[in-house]
Amino acid sequence: MKSEPLFLKNAQTFAEAMVRCGVRYHFAYPITPATEVMKHTAVILPQYGGRMVQMESELAVSNALAGCACTGKLGATSTSGPGMSLMQETMSYMAGGELPCIMLDAMRVGPGDGDIVGAQSNYFQATRGGGHGDYRVIVLAPASGQEIVDIMPDAVKLAYTYRTPVLFVIDGVTCTMTESALFPEAHDYASEFDTSSWAFTGTGDHPKRYLLTGSYTHSQGEELNEKLLAKYELIKEKEQLWEEIEVEDADVVLVAFGIHGRMGQDLVANMRAEGKKVGLIRPISLWPFPDKAFEGLSDSVKSMLVVEMNHGQMVDDVRLAVNGRIPVHFLGKTGGDMPLCTLAEMTAKINTLL
Amino acid sequence: MQELAKIYGETLLLDKKFSYCPGCGHGIVTRLVAEAIEALGIRKRTISVVGIGCGGFSHHYMEIDAIEAMHGRAPAVAVGYKVAKPENIVYTYQGDGDCSAIGLAELLHTANRGMPVTCFMINNNLFGMTGGQMSPSTLEGQITSTTPNGRDVHQHGYPLRVPEMMADMHGAKYVARESVCDAKSIRKAASSVRKALDCQMKGLGFSFVEFIVPCPTGLKLSVPDSYKWNKEKMVEYFKPQIFKNEMEQNDEN
Repeated sequence: MKSEPLFLKNAQTFAEAMVRCGVRYHFAYPITPATEVMKHTAVILPQYGGRMVQMESELAVSNALAGCACTGKLGATSTSGPGMSLMQETMSYMAGGELPCIMLDAMRVGPGDGDIVGAQSNYFQATRGGGHGDYRVIVLAPASGQEIVDIMPDAVKLAYTYRTPVLFVIDGVTCTMTESALFPEAHDYASEFDTSSWAFTGTGDHPKRYLLTGSYTHSQGEELNEKLLAKYELIKEKEQLWEEIEVEDADVVLVAFGIHGRMGQDLVANMRAEGKKVGLIRPISLWPFPDKAFEGLSDSVKSMLVVEMNHGQMVDDVRLAVNGRIPVHFLGKTGGDMPLCTLAEMTAKINTLL
Repeated sequence: MQELAKIYGETLLLDKKFSYCPGCGHGIVTRLVAEAIEALGIRKRTISVVGIGCGGFSHHYMEIDAIEAMHGRAPAVAVGYKVAKPENIVYTYQGDGDCSAIGLAELLHTANRGMPVTCFMINNNLFGMTGGQMSPSTLEGQITSTTPNGRDVHQHGYPLRVPEMMADMHGAKYVARESVCDAKSIRKAASSVRKALDCQMKGLGFSFVEFIVPCPTGLKLSVPDSYKWNKEKMVEYFKPQIFKNEMEQNDEN
């Protein structure tokens, strides 16, 4: 497939991007607003020799994905809030089993069944893990269709390099937005990774291998956790991703991800035009959280404003990153007819901090 | 050991010590599965997806790749595996708690999906590993650690017959219930294991075998008494039979 611009709903862009980068098996169960992904892969995957497999529940989805990952081939799933909750047991399982895969949570309002309008209320679940045990998964939060396309090759590389699930969290507003994105030539990044040292492909070319999910001796459990910890420390050191705009001399720095981060780009331009020194830090990797973006902040920064489509989740990580050096304020909204904070609301709040 | 390997082949790891309790029916079924894999010549491309419970140990005694699934989810793991690697043979090995309590939805949908995977359900009619609690297949009136006055069907429902639910599913091509309570039954069970795996090798569809086995520890009976109890009580309710064999028109059974 050649390089081409496509005008798609961003959920479809996600589907196109992951397939063009090497995902060949997509396991899914219908749920708004993630359903658009499976509808799209059902059409395009056969052209790549793959399949979309509709399962009977998100429990089955995530476990089929684990089974697929055991072969060394690249599988994916896509879901929204309640479906993500059902997959948490398997997230823990796949993190512990070191199984690579691509996942999408098209975030909607919770708790409970919540609402289908977009939200960012799953930040805690994504970055802390809703499953049991000491584990982490890489969490990416692109803010546009183009960024989904641009970051997908990295996501596949991260999944195999670190043998871990890579979870995209994209607010439902961004997911349902239709916009154009330029797709580079299709390339199967997954096939570039040699999985023969660990995949469970039968004892034809290796001695017996088995995926251990529990520990039969206490030392085995400790060893697994220490191995995972070392991997997570390496990821934290090497894989932080963020965008920053005009933070060097800023009086106030806005911190936001996803759709609010994208609005922040306009906000900074508008306020700078008025001579107001405002900057933006837009985390792209939510785990590892981009602590490094906050380490070098100059003394000019008087305060920070975190804006989220929830009642304050990422703000905790920002407070940990600045560690009391700078006052951190919060503006958030969730649910209802308009889950977003408007540009006017964000601007007004920043004006009170300047 | 070397001489035994000459007789039994490479699949069964004869030098491994069983962690099954003395007299446990898992030992018999594990051996039957290993012997079928050996006889069919599929060891190098066979993957065992085991459940949580005593059945999870079964792959330890075989030289094959294995995946330990989360509790109840082995059939879904097997489906995902088979989708990505259809040339391999994948079977699940689960107890009745794993299969018919927490994992019933995955099992039945896998059966109905008709994908060529094989599920073995080892029914010892209670939760063995956790110490003998009631499972869906515990008999009416049977005393377990969670039914101290016996299973009351008005409170706990009736003992669950699983293969009966699959018999009408078009995707299921070989469905059987076997017992290991005597030598004759074990010979029949051996035949069903081979047919179930052969069904998958031929790509015909889903195959399933339930095994009625004793758990002397959970039943708090001596080994001979547990086999006797199985033969008299369990087999009466869970009747061994071939529910379905759509493998070949002229096939036996």
